Amino acid sequence: MNDMTMPEQTTKAEADYKFTAKGVDVFYADNHAIKDVSVDINDKTVTAFIGPSGCGKSTFLRCLNRMNDTIDICRVTGDIRLDGEDINDPKVDPVQLRAKVGMVFQKPNPFPKSIYDNVAYGPRIHGLASGKAELDDIVEKSLRRAALWGEVKDRLDKPGTGLSGGQQQRLCIARAVATEPEVLLMDEPCSALDPIATAQVEELIDELRQNYSLVIVTHSMQQAARVSQKTAFFHLGELVEFGETADIFTNPEDSRTESYITGRIG
Amino acid sequence: MDNTEQHIASAFDRDLDAIQGMLMKMGGLVENAILESANSLENRDVELAERVRDGDKDIDALEEQVNEEATRVIALRAPTARDLRTVMTVIKISANLERCGDYAKNLAKRTTVLAEIPPVSGADVSVKRMAREVQLMLNAALDAYIARDADMAERVILQDEDVDKLYNAIFRELLTHMMEDPRNITPCMHLHFIAKNIERMGDHVTSIAEQVIYLVTGKMPDDARPKKDKTPFMDGGS
Repeated sequence: MNDMTMPEQTTKAEADYKFTAKGVDVFYADNHAIKDVSVDINDKTVTAFIGPSGCGKSTFLRCLNRMNDTIDICRVTGDIRLDGEDINDPKVDPVQLRAKVGMVFQKPNPFPKSIYDNVAYGPRIHGLASGKAELDDIVEKSLRRAALWGEVKDRLDKPGTGLSGGQQQRLCIARAVATEPEVLLMDEPCSALDPIATAQVEELIDELRQNYSLVIVTHSMQQAARVSQKTAFFHLGELVEFGETADIFTNPEDSRTESYITGRIG
Repeated sequence: MDNTEQHIASAFDRDLDAIQGMLMKMGGLVENAILESANSLENRDVELAERVRDGDKDIDALEEQVNEEATRVIALRAPTARDLRTVMTVIKISANLERCGDYAKNLAKRTTVLAEIPPVSGADVSVKRMAREVQLMLNAALDAYIARDADMAERVILQDEDVDKLYNAIFRELLTHMMEDPRNITPCMHLHFIAKNIERMGDHVTSIAEQVIYLVTGKMPDDARPKKDKTPFMDGGS
């Protein structure tokens, strides 16, 4: 798989890779869910993971901030490095790792707290603000980044759960960016949203790309085509093809990729 | 992935098949127009020429239909990969075919003029041969499209050199006729436009063959073909 991890036109020095994963395997008890996956994720790039249900794309995404640690029967082997550092090293604190590698889930899951407290939660527990004024700043900045500020600035003390679905998802994104992560992982971030909210989140993804490395798992191939620069196609736990999004959608190399993206049985 | 693999949404297959069916129908009409216009010239058959001119409407209408359907498929089905290349090549090939139809129509139009004046010996036969050559090329290019056969398309591209050589020979022949007798100038000018138009048809057929290669391989072929049109450098004394 190594030969197709990077097409020539974007081959960059190792330093430009945010994540490098080599020979990653994941087992859920006896089930071999990810098979020898190696992939390099660029900084300031949106990378999309696509593939049919059960192909391992979400499982692999969850390896990147050790979310699989929370599942007892799950075992991850292989080498995953963030900025050259082994994230599975016993010295690495998974909580600190997840502050650097934020995550947004399929269903908006705001805390049953006020809008303000939802966003302030992360900065508080990580001690990122020295006082109320600084915390206010972080909350406003994060909500602005998530394109939600204008809609909620007059009701920051109202519960986050009272917002619409699209607003809740943007609140979760604001919460994720509040800790100034370096990478944002998104697992089906728009599947519960209407087309307008989806467009807003996609616009946001494009803006966030200026500062972050983003990895998005999506069932919508059109969404992958719209928002990402790199696309990885997973099938039956294998990384089948990884390349420039434009190439994957116009002239994929592997017949399995072609069958999947053109909607054929394969 | 083999060609017979079906979409999960079978209506998508039906849409693509329908567009390609229209394109092939268009190809058949154009092949016919090329042959019949050349026949009309050879036999000074004004009635046949009239039918060719009239038939161009059907070709134009089909092109419009192909474009409409292709637009609909892009809007409704968001085709990707091979499907996307199919839709893109259908649009381009239909434009090439439409131009070939126009050239055949122009040939037929000049036939009605040439029918009024005495023929220039030999030149008609050469033009007919050239038209036949292009029609065979088009036939092979369309077969290559149906079979998704890039090698066959490659051979069509090479065949265009023969058409260019025929054109060069006709150009020389017509120059000689015009120098021999100024009364030949009017028919020879018409015949030259006809030959030039057939040569242009060959270029459009070459472009169709290139589209077939793109459709099959995902890459446009390199334009390594030597240019055989030497007429810019010819003068009457050569």
